[in-house]
Amino acid sequence: MKEGKRVIAHCTQPIGDMAGTWANETEDNYGYYQYGDYDMSHTGDPRQDMEYERHYASQSYIVPEVIKNFLLHFQQVIKEQNLVEIQNNYENGFNKLTDRFFKTSAWPSAKVIAPIVGNEERFLILYNELFFRHVYARVSSGPSLDQRFDSYYNYCSLFNYILNAEGPVPLELPDQWLWDIIDEFIYQFQAFSIFRHKSSNKKTEDDIELLRTNPKIWNVHSVLNVLHSLVEKSNINKQLEVYTSGGDPDSVAGEFGQHSLYKMLGYFSLVGLLRLHSLLGDYYQALKVLENIDFNKKSLYSRVPACQITTFYYVGFAYMMMRRYQDAIRTLSNILLYIQRTKTMFQNRTQLYDQISKMNDKMYTLLSICLVLHPMRIDESVHSHLREKYQEKMNRMQKGEMAEFEACFAFACPKFLSPVPPNYDLMGANAPQHKEPFQLQLLVFKEEVEQQIQVPTIRSYLKLYTTLPIAKLAAFMDMSDDELCTHLMCFKHKMKNLVWIKGTSGLEGEFQSASEVDFYIDKDMIHIADTKVARRYGDFFIRQFHKFDEIMRSLKAT
Amino acid sequence: MAEAMQATVASLLKGIDRYNPENLQTLERYVAMQASENTYDLEANLAVLKLYQFNPSMYQTGVTATVLLKALTNLPNSDFILCKCLIETGRLGEEPVAKVLKLAEFLETAHFQDFWLALMEDPDLLIGILGFEDSIRKFVCHVVASTYQTIRKDKLRILLGNISDAQTSQWISKYGWREQQDGYVFVTTQDENIKTKNITEKISFDSVAAIMASGR
Repeated sequence: MKEGKRVIAHCTQPIGDMAGTWANETEDNYGYYQYGDYDMSHTGDPRQDMEYERHYASQSYIVPEVIKNFLLHFQQVIKEQNLVEIQNNYENGFNKLTDRFFKTSAWPSAKVIAPIVGNEERFLILYNELFFRHVYARVSSGPSLDQRFDSYYNYCSLFNYILNAEGPVPLELPDQWLWDIIDEFIYQFQAFSIFRHKSSNKKTEDDIELLRTNPKIWNVHSVLNVLHSLVEKSNINKQLEVYTSGGDPDSVAGEFGQHSLYKMLGYFSLVGLLRLHSLLGDYYQALKVLENIDFNKKSLYSRVPACQITTFYYVGFAYMMMRRYQDAIRTLSNILLYIQRTKTMFQNRTQLYDQISKMNDKMYTLLSICLVLHPMRIDESVHSHLREKYQEKMNRMQKGEMAEFEACFAFACPKFLSPVPPNYDLMGANAPQHKEPFQLQLLVFKEEVEQQIQVPTIRSYLKLYTTLPIAKLAAFMDMSDDELCTHLMCFKHKMKNLVWIKGTSGLEGEFQSASEVDFYIDKDMIHIADTKVARRYGDFFIRQFHKFDEIMRSLKAT
Repeated sequence: MAEAMQATVASLLKGIDRYNPENLQTLERYVAMQASENTYDLEANLAVLKLYQFNPSMYQTGVTATVLLKALTNLPNSDFILCKCLIETGRLGEEPVAKVLKLAEFLETAHFQDFWLALMEDPDLLIGILGFEDSIRKFVCHVVASTYQTIRKDKLRILLGNISDAQTSQWISKYGWREQQDGYVFVTTQDENIKTKNITEKISFDSVAAIMASGR
């Protein structure tokens, strides 16, 4: 373990420096590199340590030949910068061997494989990235505290290598991998935040002591700093600006930004910031960081499906929280349609497929919440799936059942987190601290829903009439005329949303009411405007034509 | 002053420096300035709340309450929600923040009369916030304008906070509404914007072109 540690330790320093010269000055515990006296190879738990030794001491673990060959080949193609082969090893080779040898156990540690790959630092960092990601995803006991720490150091090494070089580093990786790096980096930060807030019996006294004395590891400032640094280094915002106006992004990209590695990491970091801000409940910043991305349009940056889906999920969610239902509905149905059309492409990539399916369900749930609150027409095929799978939930929400709103929200929302360490002294007390951030977002959501809980009932009455005296509706609703007028104004206020019209900034927009049922009051009379939709046949026939045409052609071919 | 400050603050909010707790004092001063000079900067105010979120020991209830009250002046925008999402649950129950939350609920549900009553009970809440009431009246007018074609002048007067008849007339003329003989105020011709929509199917030539080609 010693060697691996040395590499990591000396690399970590600069990112700590960047993490905020100010932070180091203001508070001592903002420093990021005071972990030297902590021996990372020991957990303090003898039983665990023994297991660790047994598994990883190189003399007792012999790396199978096939793994050796794989690693050497992998190393070779990265050295040669053969992108196609890197991608092949990354997406197929690694996963196949995982299924064969390491379904639920960890790959050999970097220390074990170091002699095989000639101690090449860069390869070992990249290997570690895969190693820890696999530990998080597949190893049944999950990552140990040490592994959480080590993985953090490994990310520091990786980002320091990329960011602190004098010129662009000679490395290119497939877009998918680069996306996965950013995605995993935030995921592990999220997992760590939740872990340290959780008062589970899995954490020993020593663990808590370690967490207490190492507040800089997986600190929110360092994570933000990495993402901001990648954004700045790549000039990605300027590049996107020029790209949207039809110019050549390379003209403003600068020395680093012209390289695909920096450009893509910069772009993915923007999406990473969107996610991070959302997890902290900062929806304004979440949308603001995407200011220069025209995500309503396909672009050369949108080739990684998982990134696309993540982007739209968080944007849709932010819009929902901001009571911009129309925008949320548009965003979510766009991506759901995209998933519907492309889903078969991922069928043979199990992990990705599972991930996408999960997001798919979450987004349908969000969409059903939004459509209950703000009924409007959406794409026919998305709508029919919704009717099939979510009709019951929607009915319950329509009836004003708060429990259903709550359940849907809890299922579909991101895993919110707190940016600060918990009060370790209160660990195990009644209030589960890791739930706090979720409770807050749920509270805000619920209060919003409660404020408009009468709207669906009023709407259902309005739908039946073209004109309706105020007094009559008040009698239906069992309230005074004045009270009803208040509810009608509330209806109007809640249904008039800011709606995005044009430009790349998702924060801008103008007020519109596009809900199915609209009305106005003239003296004592409510005048109602409904939306009547004629049945659509054309689409159905066109699809049938195409189908038959396909059949005919394949018949002819045989 | 606040305008001059805006540029300075904007530079403080660039990149990673946004999270620098050393800027907090400046930003808090800027919040107070917005209140006393009736200007508004959502992004800066959110940055304050974010710094509180990252540094809970620096939290100040008074500043938070001001930020929230200022967010109300920007209704019908959902700024208030954006702010609320950044404040710890435990803090939401503290005064005066809890009172502001109550006010917000009245406004969000169009219970304007209750809003003005609650405000009367706590006049201290608004100390140092210039133009708050008029900002709320703008919001009331916004909701009225989207709900009514005609509204009783007396009702409008109450919604605007039980102001005098003359003041009501001022608001009416400000928005170009018209007082009628029968005690009603004509707001706008709603039937031009709000009418039943019939969505019928339109099939474009492009979508059938492929079929026609294959049918040759």
